[in-house]
Amino acid sequence: MQSDKTEELIARAIAALPYRRPSAGFSARVLAGIAAEAQPAWEARLLKAAGLLVAAWGAGLAFVSAKLLYANFGELAALLIQPGGIAEALNLAAARAGLILAKLTAALPAFSGLLSAAAGGLPAWYETAAAALVCSAAIAAFSKGGRLARQAV
Amino acid sequence: MMAETETDLVSRCLGGDNTAFAGLLEIYQDRIYSFALRLLKDPVAAEEAAQEAFVKAFKGLSSYNPAYPFSSWLFRITHNACMDALRAGSKNVSMDEEDFTELPDPSAGVDASVSDSLDSERIEAMLASLPPIYSEVLLLAYRENMGSSEIARVIGAPEGTVKARLSRGRELVKVKIFRKGGATV
Repeated sequence: MQSDKTEELIARAIAALPYRRPSAGFSARVLAGIAAEAQPAWEARLLKAAGLLVAAWGAGLAFVSAKLLYANFGELAALLIQPGGIAEALNLAAARAGLILAKLTAALPAFSGLLSAAAGGLPAWYETAAAALVCSAAIAAFSKGGRLARQAV
Repeated sequence: MMAETETDLVSRCLGGDNTAFAGLLEIYQDRIYSFALRLLKDPVAAEEAAQEAFVKAFKGLSSYNPAYPFSSWLFRITHNACMDALRAGSKNVSMDEEDFTELPDPSAGVDASVSDSLDSERIEAMLASLPPIYSEVLLLAYRENMGSSEIARVIGAPEGTVKARLSRGRELVKVKIFRKGGATV
């Protein structure tokens, strides 16, 4: 009974504690800190778009890899269970990768032509370099953003 | 013109209107600063922690889930800033539990005249003498009127831990009242 009363008094005393005011200029300092770190909206949108592009490329790559694995799963599994099969499986994978690379190399001039046409006749390397720069900036910015978000929460 | 509510300001902020954050700052600055001050016991450190919390809140606004109260989200960021400050503090403030072995049984009762004289100054001093893990749950529960589940979200601990800390925090305050009372009555 006495204990309950004391607890109630403690609760009431804490609830009645006055709020303290920070020193003059606190709000201004906070707003200045925010302004110094604020990111323009267009920059955020650009980064988001670039991030989506990178994610789409990543998803495409994962899909192609998964499809390749699925298509060759039988052969790979059969090789893996044989003695020395892992080395053979790696050889097979390397051979297939080589084949795909050869096909890609053969298709490169045509692809480059397409890119160049899409960019209004500019050399395709300009477009590739710009895409690489955008990707690097997006990855760097997203890594930074992730770190800040983890710190914030 | 009617003043904007906290919900309006949060909605405007989430909608990309950054100027609304100044309104939220105005609403919360005293509460956040007082909470930080009572944990850190140093006005300069408390202002730094509060400022850091507001800046982080602004930057992380997109991660705020409006399904939960804005206040508990903001207090969570402040809690993190204060814990970082305590860990980094040169004063090496203890965040651990106190040794309870020598404590008298608080349920034995506290002199009513002592309890009745619990003014702000005394309770402030008692809270300041508690380890921060207890004073913060007491402040959040009674000063900020938060329930156990909300406090659990703020401090990032299970609800059971919050209840245990509240109970031990109250016991510690009672013991301090008892000791003071014993000395003065």
